[in-house]
Amino acid sequence: MKMMDTDKRIVVTGMGIISSLGIGKDEFWKNLIQGKSGISKVDAFDTAEHATHFGGQVKGFDAEDFLSKNKIKMMGRASHLAIAAAKLAIKDAGLDIKKFNCEELAILLGTTAGEAQEIEEMDEIWLKKGVDAVDNWSIVQYPVSNISSNVALELKVKGKNRMFTTACAAGNYAISYGVDLIKLGKADIVFAGGSDAFSYLGFTGFNQVRAVAPEKCQPFDKNRKGMIPGEGAAILVLESLKSAHKRNAEIYAEILGCGFSCDAFHMTNPQIDGVGRCVQNALERTGVNPEDVDYICAHGTGTRHNDKTECAAINKVFGNRKVAVSSIKSMLGHTMGAASAIEAMACCLATKFDIVPPTINFETPDPECDIDCVPNKARKQKVNIALNNGFAFGGNNACLVIKKIK
Amino acid sequence: MQMKKNTVITGIGIVSPIGIGRDAFWENLFLGKCGIKQITLFDTKDLNVKSGGEISDFNPHKILNEKTLMDLDRATLLLLCAAKYCLEDADFSVNEDNSTRTAVSVGTTFGSIFSISRFNRESFTEGPRYVNPSIFPSTVGNSAASRIAIKFKIKGFNSTISTGMCAALDALDYARDAIELDRAEQVLVGCVEDLSIQAFLGFYKLKYLSGVKNNTPLLSCPFDKRRDGIVFSEGATVFLLQTNGSASNAHVYGKILGIGSCFDPAKFYRYSPKGEGMKEAMRLALKDAGLEPKDIDCVFANANSTKDADAIESRAIREVFGKKAEDVLVTAIKSMVGETVSNSGGIALAAALAAIDKQMIPPTINYLQKDTNCDLNYVINNPKKNKVSRVLVNCFGPNGTNTSVIVGK
Repeated sequence: MKMMDTDKRIVVTGMGIISSLGIGKDEFWKNLIQGKSGISKVDAFDTAEHATHFGGQVKGFDAEDFLSKNKIKMMGRASHLAIAAAKLAIKDAGLDIKKFNCEELAILLGTTAGEAQEIEEMDEIWLKKGVDAVDNWSIVQYPVSNISSNVALELKVKGKNRMFTTACAAGNYAISYGVDLIKLGKADIVFAGGSDAFSYLGFTGFNQVRAVAPEKCQPFDKNRKGMIPGEGAAILVLESLKSAHKRNAEIYAEILGCGFSCDAFHMTNPQIDGVGRCVQNALERTGVNPEDVDYICAHGTGTRHNDKTECAAINKVFGNRKVAVSSIKSMLGHTMGAASAIEAMACCLATKFDIVPPTINFETPDPECDIDCVPNKARKQKVNIALNNGFAFGGNNACLVIKKIK
Repeated sequence: MQMKKNTVITGIGIVSPIGIGRDAFWENLFLGKCGIKQITLFDTKDLNVKSGGEISDFNPHKILNEKTLMDLDRATLLLLCAAKYCLEDADFSVNEDNSTRTAVSVGTTFGSIFSISRFNRESFTEGPRYVNPSIFPSTVGNSAASRIAIKFKIKGFNSTISTGMCAALDALDYARDAIELDRAEQVLVGCVEDLSIQAFLGFYKLKYLSGVKNNTPLLSCPFDKRRDGIVFSEGATVFLLQTNGSASNAHVYGKILGIGSCFDPAKFYRYSPKGEGMKEAMRLALKDAGLEPKDIDCVFANANSTKDADAIESRAIREVFGKKAEDVLVTAIKSMVGETVSNSGGIALAAALAAIDKQMIPPTINYLQKDTNCDLNYVINNPKKNKVSRVLVNCFGPNGTNTSVIVGK
């Protein structure tokens, strides 16, 4: 039996990402620190009748680069994105996964909408042509559990397989559980991250709750008009420092741990108390002092309420000290279940290169967002410790603590 | 090596097709009651299968003592009621002192599909600018779990896991790990699935349902030769999981002794014929508990009346138990409650705790014809008085997920 060792150090040794800012971590990071925007006109479906028409769709992705045509047909887009990200992560980590047994590898993923496109297809056919016309393929593809099981089937990974559906914080949940499983001796190597495909449901829903900006996402700006729905997938390879050293792996960063809280207040109305408790919990659990935090990768959706609440919570925890806080959602839009996994990746790379990615589209300061939001240009600065905020519908909050590896 | 914490179950809340509340469920379980009936929740006019495990006498307004529950979907209501029963059963109240040390871990896979579909349909019919925005928050997978937190002011972590048939046991696994790492002192572990036409249609179209193939009568008869598919069903189960220490004054129903989980990447949407994943999950649970097959008195099987799955599981149990396979008693409560997918592990665990409490094993009902492919020592048609100290609960899914839990006195 493997030993539980809560002092075990967990590091990130591989990254795979499919995003509107690029495929693979190098392209993603290059574009991220150049402050590029991944937002474009939505072409996933007709938006003529919607109030807004822009989204963070991944347009340069061809599933055939990663999967056979036959398999592509058998699964939805969130699975395509997740499998592609997983394959890139394995390659990046230089792992030979055939060498591992059942107990040693785990796949932990997060999503908000799952294979929502498949449910949309089912509903459309059902409405137009009746129940008999609904085909088996959209039915077999829609369960949300499919994403992690499709990745495991494709990679032949036998270990723990979990699908977190904690909405927009799901990526942090998955990564945190990965860290916990390795510490508990229940896995050696974990593929953790998130995936979400651009969905009619999400786009329409956020529009209907008046949360979507017309063209650009401007977190922390006085005139911010909302979030921009996006899509993507990111998967990180986690293992113990010892294991990474043993296989001479390149290490991106250390994950110290994760803090959680629940607002227990409202489905869509984040609370200063809940968000603050989450960040506090993360710091306490990892033994990090607030003054040692160099960067916060904000949840920063760009909605009036989220940004105001998040800034107030940050200021409550950090007092007068101004930490660099940026929202990469300004560039990617909100990639839902993938968001906090992509942001965790940005944190790891920030610590590796000592560069903080910017909040783009920033024009006018907002006294209600009294933070240093690293406006418009990436900043070269020491990043020893980074926090990654992820807040979800339902007030499910998770904050990851990431540390530079020296 | 740090000492492992003991995690115990001190509260059970259940809303099931054979009883609402623990007492009613336990009583009907040993009476061998069948919860399958004509479906009234949706129109079955165009469908070959018209029955399911519908909870017909469910009155959430009364249970929750609230007049307006307008914007909550059925899955959320089932789970909220189960949570309320659980807190009452454990005599545990969430207050300012314990709220941040209390957490929620839920397993559900189809819990939000009704709301997703409702949103889509309204939008496709009326246009995207006319769909009711209040449905949107219910379309996320963590909606039901979050509403527990909102209703009972539970401020610790709030997690939702969606792994199909194994979701309940996987949520339990998550909660136990969280307690082990001191993320919380007590966790409400819940699971839910509702009888929505959307989820029903999935199983129907894939011909997983009993009676869909050749108009044979709908029947949930695990291990029986006549079995021809599942009966789709609904329900919610919530447990209060605590450390031994924090539960010092509480009534303890049972202790979580071991959990094993393994993915079987055999085939897309087919049970792996050799059952390697099932066997591995059972072995890992035994290893985690530090037990041998001889220590297990009874297996609460996943068996859901599917031709392949019941036979594969029977063989897998035989292989894992070896010489002890003749001694261990096996039962399948899905004969009574049907297949509740993500809730199935929870309902089985609630039944396993009943067996430990009453020292009696609930029956596999509807059993008439022996199948040579299913040849274990099943508890058939009548409950059986027996020593029950440790129970193995199995959950397996056709998507490759396998999780087993051992619970003991």
